[in-house]
Amino acid sequence: MRPILLKGHERALTQIRYNREGDLIFSVSKDQQICVWFSHNGERLGTYRGHQGAIWTVDVDPTTTMIASGSADNTIRLWDVKTGRLLKTWDFPTAIKRVEFNEDGTKLVAVTEKRMGHLGTIVVLNINPDVNAEQSDEKALVIVCEESKATVAGWSYLSKYIIAGHEDGSISQYDAKTGDLLLNIPIHELNNPITDLQWSADRTYFITASKDKTAKLITAKDLEVLKTYTADTPLNSATITAKKDFVILGGGQAAMEVTTTAVRQGKFEARFYHKIFEDEIGRVRGHFGPLNTVAADPTGKGYASGGEDGYVRVHHFDKGYFDFMYEVERERANKLAQQAAQAQAAAAPATAKA
Amino acid sequence: MAARTKHDWADDEDIEETTNDLPPPQKIQNKDGSTTIIEYRYNENGQKVKTTRRIRYITHREVVSPLVAERKTWAKFGASAKDPPGPASDTTSVGENIIFRPSVNWKKEAKDESKDPNAQAMKDKLKDKKVKCRICNGEHFTARCPYKDTMAPIGETAPADVAAGLGDEAPGAAGPGKKGSYIPPALRAGARPEGDRLGGKYGERDDMATLRVTNVSELAEESELREMFERFGRVTRVFLAKDRETGLAKGFAFISFADRADAVRACQKMDGFGFKHLILRVEFAKKAQ
Repeated sequence: MRPILLKGHERALTQIRYNREGDLIFSVSKDQQICVWFSHNGERLGTYRGHQGAIWTVDVDPTTTMIASGSADNTIRLWDVKTGRLLKTWDFPTAIKRVEFNEDGTKLVAVTEKRMGHLGTIVVLNINPDVNAEQSDEKALVIVCEESKATVAGWSYLSKYIIAGHEDGSISQYDAKTGDLLLNIPIHELNNPITDLQWSADRTYFITASKDKTAKLITAKDLEVLKTYTADTPLNSATITAKKDFVILGGGQAAMEVTTTAVRQGKFEARFYHKIFEDEIGRVRGHFGPLNTVAADPTGKGYASGGEDGYVRVHHFDKGYFDFMYEVERERANKLAQQAAQAQAAAAPATAKA
Repeated sequence: MAARTKHDWADDEDIEETTNDLPPPQKIQNKDGSTTIIEYRYNENGQKVKTTRRIRYITHREVVSPLVAERKTWAKFGASAKDPPGPASDTTSVGENIIFRPSVNWKKEAKDESKDPNAQAMKDKLKDKKVKCRICNGEHFTARCPYKDTMAPIGETAPADVAAGLGDEAPGAAGPGKKGSYIPPALRAGARPEGDRLGGKYGERDDMATLRVTNVSELAEESELREMFERFGRVTRVFLAKDRETGLAKGFAFISFADRADAVRACQKMDGFGFKHLILRVEFAKKAQ
């Protein structure tokens, strides 16, 4: 496969998101602008300008009409995807580290930084899905993280829970309506912050990446750890691929240590693990710095990674990727195909008689 | 004419001439729907090169949701507002091809490959060289030979027991099998009068039964040498000359045996023994003059 290199940012990438159909890629970086790209050829559709600080996070609503972005300029901004128009700005006392729309695009969860005497909070905003409508200033819910600040947060299936990852390596489950803390489980090693949290397609389980060099697959309902993927480097991002049962992990030495690390040693590769068997099945090289974010195409055709080097690399998988199967998977597929053929053969004479 | 005035005097003058007599590029539509494009050019040696490319255009149709199709028609905005349709070269480029094949034993494969760039280069260099063990003629390095502790290298004088051992493991190894394999001059049978090598042994002999071992690897340790020579009898002293600064062995050592007979046997057996990729040379130490 030949990756497409997107050079729209001058500084390190912080997050990449695909939209629901997988045809657009939104990328944000510390250079204060948001770029949107066509995933199939890497053509840049446009940029969204207005933030006054490094942008930490971006998310697109399910209908691809609006995107929300959170920045170190202490604002969340809502933009019209099609025109790049700024729709709304919410001001906060501290930087925004994470935003995420819920499944129907009516709510936005945001994580605010703990700084300057302010505790880290998780905020829920109501969003009017109509582009031309006035958005409300009011915060629907504010959850204050007194113990350890949240680093990432997201909506579970049916917007039932808000799941948050914390700086101390624990995962919390909050009731999305009342904001009550239902569960808090130390899942990753103590004081290894959770750097990423991405959902499966149906939002019943999610994957977390942590600086403790592991990524874990966790259920949303009772925060049970289903799988653990162990890497040899601190992880910045993890994502679940569609179509194939893989997960992609991205990481590398911390940015400040990069100058003392060779590219080979730096482990600046996207690592592919089998989702079920937890084995590492391959790596993709390319970045000259740690991978800050990886995102899988929801259609399963490819993935994109953003690195500290300021590049987004969009990969479209080729045949070898789709053909890869474990022996047991292959056997099962063959057996199913055989059964189907037999069933068909059995059905054919019956219909002939009839 | 304008082109000619732009032409710099420092440029290669051939360019203009050569471009004149090149046949024009041809485009041929083949029956099977492909197109053949024939182009001519000169390479840097001034030779005429004909390039024939057969191209088949395949229209790849993809059914996308109407939403996606609609989005493709959107006008560009922001920093891309002035860009023409299609990917702009300043923001989008295509990277080099990456071969990505998921595989279960990925780690093993990658380890072999990535262990060391030097190792890889060495591997390439030795790709079509046959590795041959000097002890049993097998296809492995002498240092990895399973018989290295029990047998002396075959190029050597080959005492009776070694020859017998060889007969089992590699029939014919001692005969034509070793033909063509390189034997260092120091080890060639007729190259050196026996008396020279064993000169110290019978002539001006050392009462201490001390062997001088040369061509010792830099990485050798005294304990390793002791272990090797203890097989022949009690070793009273092992001295390995080491560089004072680097701590690496200088390449020679003295081994003293308690019994002279043991020393003689050790000398015979260990001379030419492969140790840490070097071939040991063992002889009786000469008395200091």
